Amino acid sequence: MTFRITCPVCGARDIYEFTFGGHERGPRPDQKELSADAHFRWAQFRTTRPEPQEEWWYHGAGCGVWFSTWRDPATNRERRPTGEDEAS
Amino acid sequence: MTPVRLKPGFLRLDRLWEERPLERHYEVVIIGGGIHGLATAYYLAKEHGIRDIAVLEQHYIGFGGSGRNTAIVRANQRTSENVRLYKEGLALWPVLTDELDFNLMFFNCGNLNLAHTEAAENSFRLSINTAAFNGVRSEYLDREACKELIPALDVSDRPRLPILGGMYHPPGGVLRHDAVVWGLAKGASPHGVSIQQGVEVLGIDTDGARVTGVQTSEGPIGCEKIAIMAGGYGARVCAMLDIELPIHPLTIQAMVTQPLKPFLHHVISSGGYHIYANQTLKGEIACGAHMDPQVNYTTDATAWYFKHQAEAMVDILPCLAGVRFLRIWAGLADMTPDMAPILEGNLEFDGLYLDCGWGYFGFKSGPVTGKYMAEWIAREECPEILRPFGLGRFLENRYMGETAATMKYGHYD
Repeated sequence: MTFRITCPVCGARDIYEFTFGGHERGPRPDQKELSADAHFRWAQFRTTRPEPQEEWWYHGAGCGVWFSTWRDPATNRERRPTGEDEAS
Repeated sequence: MTPVRLKPGFLRLDRLWEERPLERHYEVVIIGGGIHGLATAYYLAKEHGIRDIAVLEQHYIGFGGSGRNTAIVRANQRTSENVRLYKEGLALWPVLTDELDFNLMFFNCGNLNLAHTEAAENSFRLSINTAAFNGVRSEYLDREACKELIPALDVSDRPRLPILGGMYHPPGGVLRHDAVVWGLAKGASPHGVSIQQGVEVLGIDTDGARVTGVQTSEGPIGCEKIAIMAGGYGARVCAMLDIELPIHPLTIQAMVTQPLKPFLHHVISSGGYHIYANQTLKGEIACGAHMDPQVNYTTDATAWYFKHQAEAMVDILPCLAGVRFLRIWAGLADMTPDMAPILEGNLEFDGLYLDCGWGYFGFKSGPVTGKYMAEWIAREECPEILRPFGLGRFLENRYMGETAATMKYGHYD
C-alpha cells in the first residue's frame, strides 16, 4: 500500500520522494537557563495519540521545499484535525 | 454428525490454554498478550505465586509484534547493560523449551553481521570487546572467512557496498515466534493466568495516586497493578494517562521468498544495506527491512521495500536473482532515541508498570524481561539487571550507546 504527501509546490507525490522532519514541537525553548531536562522534554517527549498531528516534510526528490502538513498516525494518511481530507 | 473427539496429543484438538470467564477484578492486569505480557504472567504465577492475573489482548495472542518479527535472537549489542540482559535471554530459550514442554524450534545457527565500511568494522570491534567482557562469543571475520562461512556470499569488489568483513556471533539464531507465544500461554494457564483475547483496553482508571483498574471493550475491570506490555502500542496506552514518552512507533516490514534448498545456514545482516535475513526451516528466505520514519500505527506494507530488499539481497547473494517473494507483512517498532528499552515501575501512578520502547529488540528480550518484570511487580523493587533502563536516563542526558551498533550509515538510510 502506498500513499502520497501533498507538497505545496508539486502537489500530491509519492511518500518516498520526501524526507520526514518530525512532528511540530512548537517554538524552541529559550536557551537561557534551559535545563537538560526541559530541553529533552521539548525535543523528545510526547504523547503519541492516534490522532492527526502537524509535522515537517522535505521534498528532496522534487522541488526541495520544507513544509508542514497534517497526518494521522492511525491511518498514515494526510488528515486535518477537523476531519476533512487534505489529499485529493 | 458427531464430531470425532481425539485425545489431545498429536493433533492437539484441545486448546493449549484454558478459556476462563472474564472476572471484574484481578490483582494484576497485563495489557498486551504478546511475548512480554505472557512471559511476565507466566513468571508471576510460577515463580512468585501471584495467580490472580489477567492478560488482556486486543486481537489474539501473538497478533502484534510477537508474531510479526523475524524471530532472530542474539546477544552482541553495543553496551554491557544490554548484552548482560540479552545473554541471559539467549540462555533461557533451551530452558524454556524444556520447562514449557513445547518445541520453540530454537535453531542455534549463529549470526553474521557484515561490515562495508571502516566505521562499521570499528563499531564491530567495540561490540566484540563488549561481548568478550561479558563472556559472550563474538568474533571478527575477514572477508575470506565470511566467504568460507557462507559460500553464496559475493565478497568481491563488484557489489555496490563491498564486504570488508563481518562480526560472527555463534550463540545467536532463530526461533519460531508463534511457538514462543503459544508455549508461554500453555505454561501460564495451568497456574491460573486468565488469557483474555479480543478485549481492548480503552482507558486506565486512577484515584489520582495509584491505578485502580482498566476500562475495556468488555466493561470495567478493577485491579491493584497494571503492566503495560503492549509492544508498539505501549505509547498509545500511555497516552490514555497523558504520560509523555520519548517513543516513536514506526512500521517495520518483513517478507519471505519462495522455499529454496538449504544454502544459507546462518542469520545474515548488514547495516549498510539495511537487511537481515535467514533461511527458515521451510526453506524460505525471511528478510526484513528498515522502517518508514514517520510515526505510524498502521501495519501497511509498501512496494518500495520489496524493491529495496530484492536489490540488496541479490547484490550480496547473487544466487537469489530471479527468486520470488511470496509474502510481505509489517509490524510496529517503538523506537527510543538511544534504541534501548524503557522499563519503569510505579511510573507517575503507584502500581503502574511499563515495559516498552524495545524497537526491533522486543522478541529477543521477551522471556528474560518477563522474568525480571515479574520479579519487579511481585517484590515492588527494581531488579538490578533492569535498573539501567529507566525513563530518567533521558532527562539526565545519559543515553545508552546502542545507536552506535552499525545501523546508522549507508546508502539505504
